[in-house]
Amino acid sequence: MKKHSMPEMKEGSVNVTPLIDVVMCLIIFFMLMTKLGVARGIDKDIKLPNAILGAKIENMGDTLSLNVHYMPSAEIPQVTAQVESTTKEVKLTEGRDKPLERVLIAFKKSHGDKSRIIIRGDQNLTYGQLEKVLMAISNAGINDTAYETKPADPNAVAAAP
Amino acid sequence: MKMKGAKQVHYESGPNMIPLVDVVMVILIFLMLAGTFGGATQFLLSKQGLHKKGSSAAKPDPNKPIDTPVEIHIDNIPDPSSPDGGGFRAQGTGIKPTASGDMLRQELEAKLAQFKAAGTSPDQLEIVLYPGRNVKYRNLIEVYQAALQAKYTKVAFATSH
Repeated sequence: MKKHSMPEMKEGSVNVTPLIDVVMCLIIFFMLMTKLGVARGIDKDIKLPNAILGAKIENMGDTLSLNVHYMPSAEIPQVTAQVESTTKEVKLTEGRDKPLERVLIAFKKSHGDKSRIIIRGDQNLTYGQLEKVLMAISNAGINDTAYETKPADPNAVAAAP
Repeated sequence: MKMKGAKQVHYESGPNMIPLVDVVMVILIFLMLAGTFGGATQFLLSKQGLHKKGSSAAKPDPNKPIDTPVEIHIDNIPDPSSPDGGGFRAQGTGIKPTASGDMLRQELEAKLAQFKAAGTSPDQLEIVLYPGRNVKYRNLIEVYQAALQAKYTKVAFATSH
């Protein structure tokens, strides 16, 4: 009786099935752990102050972020914000006009009582400069504000002189 | 004599996985680049509007009692030798002058204990910060944070002195 033997298996390519498993795990990890950045018009060059305390804002839908840049020896700070899907400078005053106030009033009109302004101020900003932005926010009738900070290490803050 | 060739054995190798690996890699790289890990920043929240000179922030609600203000005056203390350019000094009625956020927190906690002993709840108190024009934003945040750590729920800024 003729025996049939298995023909030799040729050396094929690398078995990629375990690689798929690992890559799928990584994808699921990144999908769960990251959140796609929603464009808020934030300026990452601004050095935010540190704070131990802080809350998260879950719903960013009714917020407007104002980037308040530090301008040394200037009375009026430079403010940038996302207006009509574009991040651009919004002047506090322009002659008799107050563009920032107009933007804030329009924002309050579109979002009503849920309006919230997020202030991203440079840590070296002076209150004299920040005050002008706060005045504009107050004149627009918005009381809900949030001051964005970076988380600080409580031990480092306690150890600081 | 007819020679018969060896039978070609064809193995079912399944679907080709290599394009799948390519697609999965692209998705992975996209998620790595586009996503941002949450928790990078936090917020100090405030629903108290700006206190302007000669008036309080919001229109008083006749159905609610007026909040008792706890005023804190903040001055800038320049120090050219300091890497930060200087610090601050915070003081108020019944609050000893201090240049430390931690000491200020302790002073505010002591003051809160006095109010509680007198029957005033923290919800009826409002910390009003009166910063000088040259006070740095990072020092303001430190004072703001001290007030929140001392369990005050309402903290507002006033126009500068």
